[in-house]
Amino acid sequence: MRAEELKGHLDALLLAALEDGPQHGYAVMEALRQSTAGRLDLPTGTIYPALHRLEAAGLIAGSWSVVAGRRRRVYQLTAAGAGALSGKRADWRDFATMMSAALGGGPCPDPA
Amino acid sequence: MPGPSLISDYLADLSADLPGRIVEELADGLDETFHRCLGQGLNPEAAARAAVAEFGEPRVIVAAFTDASRGRRTARRLLSAGPAVGLCWGVVLITARAWQWPVPIIARVLFGVALITVIGLLAAAAVSRRYRLVSRAAAAACLGTTLLDAAMIGTVLVSAPVLTWPAAVAVVVSAGRSGFALRNARHALAG
Repeated sequence: MRAEELKGHLDALLLAALEDGPQHGYAVMEALRQSTAGRLDLPTGTIYPALHRLEAAGLIAGSWSVVAGRRRRVYQLTAAGAGALSGKRADWRDFATMMSAALGGGPCPDPA
Repeated sequence: MPGPSLISDYLADLSADLPGRIVEELADGLDETFHRCLGQGLNPEAAARAAVAEFGEPRVIVAAFTDASRGRRTARRLLSAGPAVGLCWGVVLITARAWQWPVPIIARVLFGVALITVIGLLAAAAVSRRYRLVSRAAAAACLGTTLLDAAMIGTVLVSAPVLTWPAAVAVVVSAGRSGFALRNARHALAG
Protein backbone atom coordinates (compact mmCIF):
# COMPACT_ATOMS: atom_id res chain seq x y z
CA MET A 1 0.00 0.00 0.00
CA ARG A 2 1.45 3.38 -1.01
CA ALA A 3 1.52 6.64 0.96
CA GLU A 4 -1.25 8.36 -1.02
CA GLU A 5 -3.61 5.43 -0.37
CA LEU A 6 -2.96 5.81 3.35
CA LYS A 7 -4.20 9.39 3.53
CA GLY A 8 -6.42 9.75 6.55
CA HIS A 9 -5.46 6.34 7.95
CA LEU A 10 -1.81 6.86 8.86
CA ASP A 11 -2.69 8.50 12.19
CA ALA A 12 -4.74 5.47 13.24
CA LEU A 13 -1.93 3.11 12.23
CA LEU A 14 0.64 5.08 14.24
CA LEU A 15 -1.61 5.27 17.29
CA ALA A 16 -2.24 1.53 17.06
CA ALA A 17 1.51 0.86 16.79
CA LEU A 18 2.03 2.73 20.06
CA GLU A 19 -0.81 0.99 21.86
CA ASP A 20 1.41 -1.72 23.34
CA GLY A 21 3.89 0.73 24.86
CA PRO A 22 6.43 3.49 24.17
CA GLN A 23 8.44 3.20 20.95
CA HIS A 24 10.90 5.28 18.98
CA GLY A 25 10.25 6.23 15.36
CA TYR A 26 12.13 3.37 13.75
CA ALA A 27 10.45 0.83 16.05
CA VAL A 28 7.05 2.29 15.14
CA MET A 29 7.84 1.76 11.46
CA GLU A 30 8.99 -1.80 12.12
CA ALA A 31 5.80 -2.49 14.08
CA LEU A 32 3.76 -1.20 11.14
CA ARG A 33 5.69 -3.38 8.71
CA GLN A 34 5.07 -6.44 10.84
CA SER A 35 1.41 -5.71 11.47
CA THR A 36 0.81 -5.18 7.73
CA ALA A 37 2.93 -8.16 6.71
CA GLY A 38 5.31 -5.88 4.82
CA ARG A 39 2.63 -4.40 2.55
CA LEU A 40 3.15 -0.86 3.82
CA ASP A 41 5.24 1.01 1.22
CA LEU A 42 6.02 4.19 3.09
CA PRO A 43 9.38 6.01 3.32
CA THR A 44 10.58 5.60 6.91
CA GLY A 45 11.51 9.28 7.06
CA THR A 46 7.90 10.36 6.63
CA ILE A 47 6.85 8.56 9.82
CA TYR A 48 8.66 11.14 11.95
CA PRO A 49 6.74 14.26 10.80
CA ALA A 50 3.50 12.34 11.36
CA LEU A 51 4.63 11.50 14.90
CA HIS A 52 5.43 15.18 15.51
CA ARG A 53 1.97 16.15 14.24
CA LEU A 54 0.30 13.66 16.58
CA GLU A 55 2.44 14.96 19.44
CA ALA A 56 1.39 18.54 18.70
CA ALA A 57 -2.23 17.38 18.76
CA GLY A 58 -1.69 15.87 22.22
CA LEU A 59 -2.43 12.31 21.05
CA ILE A 60 1.07 11.05 21.82
CA ALA A 61 3.81 12.36 24.14
CA GLY A 62 7.48 12.39 23.18
CA SER A 63 10.49 12.32 25.46
CA TRP A 64 14.24 11.92 25.01
CA SER A 65 16.14 8.97 26.40
CA VAL A 66 19.75 7.87 26.01
CA VAL A 67 20.46 4.50 24.39
CA ALA A 68 24.03 3.30 23.87
CA GLY A 69 25.29 6.84 24.40
CA ARG A 70 22.96 8.28 21.77
CA ARG A 71 19.85 10.39 22.37
CA ARG A 72 16.62 8.79 21.20
CA ARG A 73 13.12 10.27 20.96
CA VAL A 74 10.50 7.90 22.35
CA TYR A 75 6.74 8.30 21.99
CA GLN A 76 3.85 6.96 24.00
CA LEU A 77 0.11 7.12 23.67
CA THR A 78 -1.69 9.71 25.82
CA ALA A 79 -5.17 9.27 27.26
CA ALA A 80 -6.48 11.50 24.46
CA GLY A 81 -4.63 9.35 21.94
CA ALA A 82 -6.13 6.17 23.33
CA GLY A 83 -9.59 7.74 23.02
CA ALA A 84 -8.87 8.87 19.49
CA LEU A 85 -7.69 5.37 18.55
CA SER A 86 -10.93 3.86 19.87
CA GLY A 87 -12.90 6.36 17.80
CA LYS A 88 -10.88 5.65 14.66
CA ARG A 89 -11.36 1.90 15.15
CA ALA A 90 -15.12 2.35 15.44
CA ASP A 91 -15.16 4.62 12.36
CA TRP A 92 -13.15 2.07 10.39
CA ARG A 93 -15.47 -0.79 11.33
CA ASP A 94 -18.48 1.28 10.23
CA PHE A 95 -16.74 2.19 6.97
CA ALA A 96 -15.66 -1.40 6.27
CA THR A 97 -19.15 -2.72 7.01
CA MET A 98 -20.71 -0.11 4.72
CA MET A 99 -18.26 -0.82 1.88
CA SER A 100 -18.67 -4.58 2.20
CA ALA A 101 -22.44 -4.22 2.00
CA ALA A 102 -22.21 -1.82 -0.97
CA LEU A 103 -19.73 -3.87 -2.94
CA GLY A 104 -21.69 -7.06 -2.51
CA GLY A 105 -20.65 -10.59 -1.74
CA GLY A 106 -18.29 -11.19 -4.64
CA PRO A 107 -15.03 -12.92 -3.95
CA CYS A 108 -12.22 -10.74 -2.65
CA PRO A 109 -9.37 -10.35 -5.15
CA ASP A 110 -6.24 -12.28 -4.37
CA PRO A 111 -3.72 -9.71 -3.07
CA ALA A 112 -0.95 -11.80 -4.60
CA MET B 1 27.02 9.39 13.21
CA PRO B 2 29.68 6.93 12.03
CA GLY B 3 29.07 5.34 8.64
CA PRO B 4 29.63 5.86 4.95
CA SER B 5 29.73 9.34 3.51
CA LEU B 6 26.41 8.74 1.77
CA ILE B 7 24.66 8.81 5.14
CA SER B 8 26.63 11.86 6.28
CA ASP B 9 25.69 13.67 3.06
CA TYR B 10 22.04 12.68 3.51
CA LEU B 11 21.99 14.05 7.06
CA ALA B 12 23.76 17.20 5.90
CA ASP B 13 20.96 17.74 3.35
CA LEU B 14 18.40 17.45 6.14
CA SER B 15 20.42 19.72 8.43
CA ALA B 16 20.31 22.47 5.83
CA ASP B 17 16.56 22.83 6.38
CA LEU B 18 15.63 21.20 9.68
CA PRO B 19 16.50 22.01 13.32
CA GLY B 20 19.21 19.97 15.04
CA ARG B 21 16.87 18.12 17.39
CA ILE B 22 14.81 16.81 14.44
CA VAL B 23 17.92 15.78 12.50
CA GLU B 24 19.19 14.03 15.64
CA GLU B 25 15.99 12.00 15.81
CA LEU B 26 16.15 11.15 12.10
CA ALA B 27 19.84 10.20 12.43
CA ASP B 28 18.93 7.70 15.13
CA GLY B 29 16.32 6.07 12.89
CA LEU B 30 18.65 6.11 9.89
CA ASP B 31 21.38 4.47 11.95
CA GLU B 32 18.96 1.72 13.01
CA THR B 33 17.97 1.19 9.38
CA PHE B 34 21.62 1.11 8.29
CA HIS B 35 22.53 -1.51 10.90
CA ARG B 36 19.52 -3.64 10.01
CA CYS B 37 20.69 -3.60 6.39
CA LEU B 38 24.21 -4.54 7.51
CA GLY B 39 22.69 -7.41 9.48
CA GLN B 40 21.05 -8.64 6.27
CA GLY B 41 24.50 -9.20 4.81
CA LEU B 42 24.96 -6.03 2.76
CA ASN B 43 28.36 -4.35 2.67
CA PRO B 44 28.54 -0.87 4.28
CA GLU B 45 28.12 1.05 1.02
CA ALA B 46 25.17 -1.06 -0.12
CA ALA B 47 23.65 -0.90 3.36
CA ALA B 48 23.95 2.90 3.34
CA ARG B 49 22.31 3.10 -0.11
CA ALA B 50 19.48 0.83 1.04
CA ALA B 51 18.98 2.77 4.29
CA VAL B 52 18.87 6.13 2.53
CA ALA B 53 16.48 4.79 -0.13
CA GLU B 54 14.22 3.35 2.55
CA PHE B 55 14.16 6.65 4.46
CA GLY B 56 12.98 8.65 1.45
CA GLU B 57 14.06 11.82 -0.33
CA PRO B 58 15.20 14.65 2.00
CA ARG B 59 12.94 17.19 0.26
CA VAL B 60 9.89 14.97 0.92
CA ILE B 61 10.81 14.62 4.60
CA VAL B 62 11.49 18.36 4.95
CA ALA B 63 8.15 19.17 3.28
CA ALA B 64 6.31 16.82 5.64
CA PHE B 65 7.97 18.36 8.69
CA THR B 66 7.20 21.84 7.37
CA ASP B 67 3.52 20.98 6.96
CA ALA B 68 3.43 19.56 10.49
CA SER B 69 5.28 22.52 12.04
CA ARG B 70 3.82 24.82 14.65
CA GLY B 71 4.68 27.86 12.52
CA ARG B 72 2.61 26.55 9.59
CA ARG B 73 -0.44 25.83 11.74
CA THR B 74 -0.20 29.14 13.57
CA ALA B 75 0.12 31.10 10.31
CA ARG B 76 -2.89 29.36 8.79
CA ARG B 77 -5.02 30.02 11.87
CA LEU B 78 -4.04 33.68 11.97
CA LEU B 79 -4.74 34.01 8.24
CA SER B 80 -8.17 32.42 8.58
CA ALA B 81 -9.02 34.64 11.58
CA GLY B 82 -7.78 37.80 9.85
CA PRO B 83 -10.92 38.64 7.83
CA ALA B 84 -13.18 38.34 10.89
CA VAL B 85 -10.93 40.55 13.02
CA GLY B 86 -10.59 43.01 10.14
CA LEU B 87 -14.36 43.13 9.75
CA CYS B 88 -14.76 43.94 13.45
CA TRP B 89 -12.31 46.81 13.17
CA GLY B 90 -13.81 47.98 9.87
CA VAL B 91 -17.21 48.39 11.52
CA VAL B 92 -15.60 50.32 14.38
CA LEU B 93 -13.63 52.65 12.10
CA ILE B 94 -16.60 53.42 9.86
CA THR B 95 -19.21 53.90 12.60
CA ALA B 96 -16.81 56.04 14.66
CA ARG B 97 -15.76 58.12 11.59
CA ALA B 98 -12.13 57.23 12.24
CA TRP B 99 -10.94 59.47 9.40
CA GLN B 100 -11.74 62.39 11.70
CA TRP B 101 -9.51 61.08 14.52
CA PRO B 102 -6.35 63.08 15.26
CA VAL B 103 -3.99 60.36 14.02
CA PRO B 104 -0.97 61.67 12.04
CA ILE B 105 -0.83 60.60 8.41
CA ILE B 106 2.62 59.06 8.91
CA ALA B 107 1.19 56.81 11.62
CA ARG B 108 -1.59 55.70 9.25
CA VAL B 109 0.92 54.94 6.50
CA LEU B 110 3.21 53.04 8.87
CA PHE B 111 0.26 50.99 10.11
CA GLY B 112 -0.72 50.12 6.54
CA VAL B 113 2.83 49.07 5.64
CA ALA B 114 3.09 46.98 8.81
CA LEU B 115 -0.26 45.32 8.08
CA ILE B 116 0.78 44.39 4.55
CA THR B 117 4.12 43.09 5.83
CA VAL B 118 2.45 40.88 8.44
CA ILE B 119 0.02 39.48 5.86
CA GLY B 120 2.97 38.76 3.56
CA LEU B 121 4.84 36.97 6.36
CA LEU B 122 1.78 34.91 7.23
CA ALA B 123 1.27 33.97 3.57
CA ALA B 124 4.91 32.92 3.29
CA ALA B 125 4.64 30.82 6.46
CA ALA B 126 1.42 29.25 5.20
CA VAL B 127 2.74 28.06 1.83
CA SER B 128 6.55 27.91 1.89
CA ARG B 129 8.16 24.46 1.80
CA ARG B 130 11.25 25.67 3.67
CA TYR B 131 11.06 24.75 7.34
CA ARG B 132 13.27 27.51 8.73
CA LEU B 133 11.61 30.20 6.63
CA VAL B 134 8.19 29.05 7.85
CA SER B 135 9.30 29.12 11.50
CA ARG B 136 10.90 32.55 11.29
CA ALA B 137 8.16 34.13 9.18
CA ALA B 138 5.47 32.78 11.52
CA ALA B 139 7.28 34.04 14.63
CA ALA B 140 7.80 37.49 13.09
CA ALA B 141 4.16 37.59 11.96
CA CYS B 142 3.00 36.65 15.47
CA LEU B 143 4.93 39.56 16.96
CA GLY B 144 3.72 41.86 14.20
CA THR B 145 0.11 40.82 14.75
CA THR B 146 0.46 41.55 18.46
CA LEU B 147 1.89 45.01 17.77
CA LEU B 148 -0.86 45.79 15.22
CA ASP B 149 -3.57 44.68 17.63
CA ALA B 150 -2.00 46.73 20.43
CA ALA B 151 -1.83 49.76 18.13
CA MET B 152 -5.49 49.43 17.16
CA ILE B 153 -6.66 48.92 20.74
CA GLY B 154 -4.56 51.85 21.99
CA THR B 155 -5.75 54.12 19.19
CA VAL B 156 -9.41 53.37 19.81
CA LEU B 157 -9.12 53.80 23.55
CA VAL B 158 -7.34 57.15 23.13
CA SER B 159 -9.05 58.60 20.06
CA ALA B 160 -12.63 57.33 20.06
CA PRO B 161 -15.02 59.74 21.80
CA VAL B 162 -16.98 56.90 23.41
CA LEU B 163 -16.44 53.15 23.64
CA THR B 164 -19.25 51.69 21.55
CA TRP B 165 -20.20 48.01 21.65
CA PRO B 166 -18.64 47.30 18.23
CA ALA B 167 -15.41 48.80 19.58
CA ALA B 168 -15.67 46.68 22.72
CA VAL B 169 -16.15 43.55 20.58
CA ALA B 170 -13.19 44.47 18.37
CA VAL B 171 -10.96 45.10 21.40
CA VAL B 172 -11.86 41.73 22.93
CA VAL B 173 -11.36 39.88 19.61
CA SER B 174 -8.03 41.63 19.00
CA ALA B 175 -6.83 40.97 22.55
CA GLY B 176 -7.70 37.29 22.14
CA ARG B 177 -5.83 37.10 18.85
CA SER B 178 -2.81 38.84 20.40
CA GLY B 179 -2.76 36.30 23.22
CA PHE B 180 -2.85 33.45 20.70
CA ALA B 181 -0.09 35.07 18.60
CA LEU B 182 2.16 35.71 21.60
CA ARG B 183 1.72 32.17 22.94
CA ASN B 184 2.67 30.72 19.57
CA ALA B 185 5.52 33.08 18.61
CA ARG B 186 8.12 31.27 20.69
CA HIS B 187 6.82 27.82 19.74
CA ALA B 188 6.84 28.76 16.04
CA LEU B 189 10.47 29.78 16.27
CA ALA B 190 11.34 26.59 18.14
CA GLY B 191 9.50 24.59 15.46
